[in-house]
Amino acid sequence: MEEQVLAAEQTAAEQAVAVDPPKKRRVNRAVLAENLWGWFFVIFLVIGTTVFIYLSLVLSIWMSFTDYSADGRTLWDALGDIHSDGFLHWYKYMFSPQYNAAGDVTGTGISHDFWTTLVNSVFYMIGIPIGMALSLFFAVLISRDIKGSGAFRVIYYIPTVSSTVSIAIMWTNLFGANGLWETWFGKGLVSGTGSTVWSQKVAVVIMTTWKGLGGSILLLCAGLNGVNESHKEAASIDGANAWTTFWRISMPQLWPTIFYCIVTSVIGGMQIFAEPQLIYGYYPGTGAVSASVDVTPFVGLIYGHYYTNHNFALCSALGFILMIIILLLTLVQFAIDSRRDA
Amino acid sequence: MTEEIRVDNIPAEEEQLSFLQKIHKGLCKFTSWLGFGSKYYKSSKHRKKIFLDVVTYVILILVAIVMIYPFWWMIAASLANNMQNMLSTFVWPKTTATVLRGGNLFYHYSNIVALAQSQQLDYWRSVGVSLLYSLAPVIVGLITSTMAAFAFAKLNFKGKNVVFFYCLAAIMVPGPSIMIAQYCIYDALSWTGNGLAMIIPGMFGAVLTAFFIRQYLYGLPTSIIEAAKIDGAGYWRIFWTFIIPLAMPAIAAQFILSFIGCWNNYLGPLLFVSSRDWYPLALVVAAMDTSYGADVNNAPAVMAMAVLALIPVLVLFAAFQKTIIGSIMLTGSKE
Repeated sequence: MEEQVLAAEQTAAEQAVAVDPPKKRRVNRAVLAENLWGWFFVIFLVIGTTVFIYLSLVLSIWMSFTDYSADGRTLWDALGDIHSDGFLHWYKYMFSPQYNAAGDVTGTGISHDFWTTLVNSVFYMIGIPIGMALSLFFAVLISRDIKGSGAFRVIYYIPTVSSTVSIAIMWTNLFGANGLWETWFGKGLVSGTGSTVWSQKVAVVIMTTWKGLGGSILLLCAGLNGVNESHKEAASIDGANAWTTFWRISMPQLWPTIFYCIVTSVIGGMQIFAEPQLIYGYYPGTGAVSASVDVTPFVGLIYGHYYTNHNFALCSALGFILMIIILLLTLVQFAIDSRRDA
Repeated sequence: MTEEIRVDNIPAEEEQLSFLQKIHKGLCKFTSWLGFGSKYYKSSKHRKKIFLDVVTYVILILVAIVMIYPFWWMIAASLANNMQNMLSTFVWPKTTATVLRGGNLFYHYSNIVALAQSQQLDYWRSVGVSLLYSLAPVIVGLITSTMAAFAFAKLNFKGKNVVFFYCLAAIMVPGPSIMIAQYCIYDALSWTGNGLAMIIPGMFGAVLTAFFIRQYLYGLPTSIIEAAKIDGAGYWRIFWTFIIPLAMPAIAAQFILSFIGCWNNYLGPLLFVSSRDWYPLALVVAAMDTSYGADVNNAPAVMAMAVLALIPVLVLFAAFQKTIIGSIMLTGSKE
């Protein structure tokens, strides 16, 4: 019975469709207006993102296959000349050393620079775990029930908002030749007696850690405020002391904040440029402002080749490699984090 | 077996303790005085809190000095008469600039403009350029960001989610990776010689700003917008009369943070500004740092420039520290 009725209904519906002229789709004016206005409101951001980020990204990848440099060609002409080496261009930057006129490996080619500066960028990141541990400690202290914690938060954030240029000038003088540090400890970090490549790097690490401490302290304070009070209370009723409560109750709830801090500071840390460049100059460079490759970070190498050689193709290839490295580092961190939960 | 109290476990007599145990007991007496109880001595929780508070304050104040002292050093050093006395400054320079011509403590501050002039740099112009680079793109960019945030939070249009993730994915592209291509684009548009490269791109809004304001607007009730619609207000009017005032706290926080970011920006103008006329303050100070105007005894003047470059940002931070700290903390608690 039911099947028959259903079938009848179906045929009726089909007939109705077949017989009636196709209905004009009613355009709901309100919906149309909302669609149009919605697109209007986002269009500027979409244009900006498309042109200045995605288009630049595509252009950057494209340029890395050419041999574009400031040789009088316009950008459009240069984009047409895909280099015959093609993909090997990248490989060359990463793995092949430079040859001198006699055909011998000089050891100081672009691949040598590539790996040295990459290692430098990674070295500058040792400030991240140190800074995280310090800021966690200070955040716990600030979050204690004390008066004036707001003032400490403000004071600790001052270096973070300060201009890197001014800070770098101050750092050069404090830790440089005849500076306070050398007067007290007999050893200059940035320059002066006993200053080595390593002490120069350490000076940068101290600076970035000092400058970045305030931000992570604030984030961790917010995270500590968000820790569930009743969980802590339950733990203390069960006889847990402060130490256990911190590691077993606060720490797991704080972990997302810590993880966020680590991920963002690794992404930022790989992009370090201004601090070493302002203190030591740029590489490859010319004249008095030329820095040693041993203190130049990866972005410094990109800038140096842009500024000194105007080798846009090389810079683009290096930039794309940097993006892949940052992406891989982020993925690795997320993979480790998901493993922890499992 | 019934439980029995083991009397021999209680260390009662002084004579039964070994030398080490005596030292331990003495230490326990000390720690109990500080508020940490032990098996020998009881202690009050109140005292423990006071002790820990004191330790906390001592550590926090020491760190605060580490954070603040370099800034004091900069100010004091900029008042020294020459480079040698500037470098040896600890709390106050050995000889201040009062010994120099004019007997003015702020001699080096008054010398800044002339010093910049000697390097073909115009100090006051660079201050104006810095203001232009930090105000124009930030104000216009905030309006466009808020527009996008409004659409993402409160409007329903086809492809909204796709556009949202399209924009959000852009923050994964690191700036230094595409900066050379950006330079080539700006150069082709001839924006590098006149500072437009630092102004126009920012006017299209920033994804992170839009995302922050969107999160803020998302929590607000939609009924206000519905009511306005029923009363006949168009979307544009809703945006100007409701959304902007409602989102003002978030917009203000983003304004200050973006302003500070733009004022301190170094890599951007370094790449995208080729004309010395359009150098912002950061580049002028950095350029002076390497040259000292050909005389090392101008070092305190360079330091004075560095101090002056810090001041606008520090004043802004002091005035709006509640907003800034609050918005940073908000980011932390959202994650």
